[in-house]
Amino acid sequence: MFEIISPLFLSLIVGGTLIGIIFGAIPGMTATMAVAICLPLTYSLGLENGLALLLGLYVGGISGGLVPAILLGIPGTPSSITTTFDGYPMAQRGEGEKALRIGVVSSLIGGLISLLALFLFAPALADFAIKFSYVEKFLIILFALTVMAALSSDMLLGIFSGFLGIFISLIGAYDVERGGNGALRLVPPGTEYWLESGFSLLPVLIGVFGLAAILEEAENGVGLTRTASSLKIGKGSGFSFSVFRGQIGNLIRSSSIGTFVGILPGVGGSAASILAYSNAKTFSKTPERFGKGEPAGIIASESGNNGLTGGALVPLLSLGIPGDSTTALLIGAFTLQGIQVGPLFIGDHPDTWNAMILAMVISNIAMFAMMYFAIRYFALVVTIPKHVLYPIILMMCVIGAYTINYGVMFDVWTLLIFGLFGWLATKIRLEIAPFIIGFILGPSAEIYFVKSLESFGDLTIFFTKSWIAMVLWGLVLASLVGSITMARKRKAQVDLQTSRGTAP
Amino acid sequence: MGELTRISIDFETSHLVFPAIIAIGLGLLGLAIAIRDRRQILAAGAYWRDVFGKADKPRFFGTIGLTLIYFVLMEPVGRLWPNTGLGFLICSVPYVLLTGLLFMRERTPAAALPVAVTAVVAPAFVWWLFTYPFFLTLP
Amino acid sequence: MKLTRRNILATAAAAVLLAQPLAAQAQQLPRNVRLVIGSKSTGGDTYQNSAIVAEALSEHLGINVKVDAVGASEAFKILERDSRGTTIMIFHDQSYLANLYGVPGYDDPFEKYTVGPSVAINPGNAYLVAADSPYGSMEDILKAAEKGERIRVAIQPGGVSEIGFSALKNAARVRAPGSEANIVPVNTGSQSDKNQAMWDDLADVINGSIQANEQFTQLPADDAKAMRFVWITARPETIAQAPAEGMGKTSRDQLLGFTSPATSVTLDGTSDFTFDKEFFFLYNKDMDPAIVAQIDTALTEIFAAGKIQERQKEAFFIPNFLPSQEAQAHLSAKRDTYAKVIAEISGD
Repeated sequence: MFEIISPLFLSLIVGGTLIGIIFGAIPGMTATMAVAICLPLTYSLGLENGLALLLGLYVGGISGGLVPAILLGIPGTPSSITTTFDGYPMAQRGEGEKALRIGVVSSLIGGLISLLALFLFAPALADFAIKFSYVEKFLIILFALTVMAALSSDMLLGIFSGFLGIFISLIGAYDVERGGNGALRLVPPGTEYWLESGFSLLPVLIGVFGLAAILEEAENGVGLTRTASSLKIGKGSGFSFSVFRGQIGNLIRSSSIGTFVGILPGVGGSAASILAYSNAKTFSKTPERFGKGEPAGIIASESGNNGLTGGALVPLLSLGIPGDSTTALLIGAFTLQGIQVGPLFIGDHPDTWNAMILAMVISNIAMFAMMYFAIRYFALVVTIPKHVLYPIILMMCVIGAYTINYGVMFDVWTLLIFGLFGWLATKIRLEIAPFIIGFILGPSAEIYFVKSLESFGDLTIFFTKSWIAMVLWGLVLASLVGSITMARKRKAQVDLQTSRGTAP
Repeated sequence: MGELTRISIDFETSHLVFPAIIAIGLGLLGLAIAIRDRRQILAAGAYWRDVFGKADKPRFFGTIGLTLIYFVLMEPVGRLWPNTGLGFLICSVPYVLLTGLLFMRERTPAAALPVAVTAVVAPAFVWWLFTYPFFLTLP
Repeated sequence: MKLTRRNILATAAAAVLLAQPLAAQAQQLPRNVRLVIGSKSTGGDTYQNSAIVAEALSEHLGINVKVDAVGASEAFKILERDSRGTTIMIFHDQSYLANLYGVPGYDDPFEKYTVGPSVAINPGNAYLVAADSPYGSMEDILKAAEKGERIRVAIQPGGVSEIGFSALKNAARVRAPGSEANIVPVNTGSQSDKNQAMWDDLADVINGSIQANEQFTQLPADDAKAMRFVWITARPETIAQAPAEGMGKTSRDQLLGFTSPATSVTLDGTSDFTFDKEFFFLYNKDMDPAIVAQIDTALTEIFAAGKIQERQKEAFFIPNFLPSQEAQAHLSAKRDTYAKVIAEISGD
């Protein structure tokens, strides 16, 4: 299987990975966009070499998202949202480099574990995945949604924010392409022209994380920029592999969750890291440290989203069905070359299959090598004067919003609307993390919930469908009980420490 | 159980089922918050006066204002040279420059130089990148 | 255009800056053309087909044609705003089918826009059953409906995926009035949802495509995922132009066994219903007719050269160039046929 390795093959992977990392690292640019841009090139490159480039972009794009997530608190891609929860607090303590190194190592491990799963079990995993009907998929989304409770610092306000996120995600047409009836709802009269297809995820995301953060800085007069000496970098970064001691279980679990979410068609890529994060928190001995700069949170999030890469290829290569939006584009690369993907693909094209696995392995290693050693320089991004850095971030957010749907001006306005909303939300103590999770998962929750009832016509189906459903209910309950006990504990501590009447 | 749990959803109206459930949840949670935090909500006026009293108003409203103008102008300017992305380029240069100057704490000519250079180089580079190698549409 | 200050400013500036060059170029496509498509996917058939055409046009005319996958509703909005020929659109039968099915946001394309030349057909639209299904053919399905068996068909409502289903209901009505009520839709979304509906035993028949489902028809019968084709909606003439090796392990001759006349779904008792998914241009109503003519001429020359057909066939498209006038006549006749089918079955 190694005869495929040529200098061109290798340089396409490495080049693709590098471009992918850059795309992932710029807020508003995504792996999907990188693949879309390079797709036309693959026609002249031939199948194996073309795939080498695209897979490099995919792995790089998913990995690069952790850089701005950690350093600026702006997720570079939707799948690195949960990385901001612990990565950004660490960066604010000056531990950006440590957080980045943890993220990069976790990404590598997540990527490799998912590849192993892809290589060894692809057809069997696909057969298991098709046992998940609407009901099981709804319960998976429900489980992912329970993380809203776990992430809230004020349970009531947090859950309210999450519901608000779901509510806003439902604005517009009930998407026909996912099985809806295409009718509009929650659209105020007179705004149909703009809101017909609702708000797109990416502009909302960079609005509430990117623009809102800059507005808050502006409100506070744009404080001083960090000096390099206040950062823990180089030898003093505090990173060593001992961080991963006791995290092996977390790594394997999160990577497997990421892989599995990738395998389930339709659940969506961003759910991978959310589920991995919520699982890590549920099973952690110190759940109260999550969200305040806990390395385990970064480990879960990053191994989860890189776990997605191998997983999403499983349904693509064994059912001909993409596992996420990026792999949907890979189908294009195959059909451009006149090759069918479906249940016979692996057997019919063993060379292409081997080349893909190999390209992914090399790409993961290249990603690790490039990022691990470039981290020191990434970490210095925060020392760029804010009056130079912020205007550029604003401009990049605009580009990202405009290009995500290939040139729709309303997406740019969405960015502004949600930038203002994000600023306002923190002022009235609404919580952004549960809001955005609700917004991401809302449409899937709706379609699977409504379709379950439409198809089976009975509420009890959620409990009686299969043993898989029972297991998922177990997870949902464990997560909820965990969050409630944690909130109780926290309240007890607060009551002990502070006198009554102090504003939280 | 049996009859009680049976539900039939009409496809024609299925777009309203989930929004209704979420709206009810949202309403109940909102009510609970209104009851629990009634004192803070009643004091909202004072709270906002305080927020805006402390805020750096020129920078805050300046950012919003500049961003608004930037967004409004981008497309009409771009329409003069259709599908070239020049609307983006022409509007981004002053936007980056002005927000940069706005965010600057001590406005000296020496400190303004890097801002001015960025304001020209960054949009131009990004415009070139998206128009030629990436072949994507900009306003 | 509303009279807002920005529009006045923009117009004034435009008049000053561009009066000369615009006047000189009014008869031609501008140097930079945006080709919007009715699909959001850059991996799907609409994008691929448009990319092939855009590339050929760019080369032939020496201009830039950029394909933007903005999706149907945005594409129509963008097209509506621009009559200068800087924005053109490619879409397929969905544009008028969605209008016939009354999907919100879809206007009658023949009225609101100018229908331009057609360029290709995706012949893949197909219906499938599970490998262990009691139904061996469309004949079995229609007979079962006559006997009162309920047949559930998984489709994505409101367009290309539904039209074959409507035709099936119509055929049942023609053969045995009343039996069409036994053919019921299972409303799903993407291809993966439709496949899943079959595996979950929520549907007896699913809409699919030759390209996406052929491999499932080659699985051993004991595989739970195995399927069988029962109907390919394309015209036999269309499939006859496909490469002889067909798709995957199914030859062209085998494919022809699932199209009319071998597999008959009657339209009116005498002729068979057929449906080809055709890709064609859509223009702004007020675009200069000279540009319409320019694109027609360019495409005529491109198709005469013959290279584009090879590219299309490689990607399993059937070349189908008709200049604007012919395409308009052909497509509006096609639309009228389907309008009747839809009207007949919604009468009950």
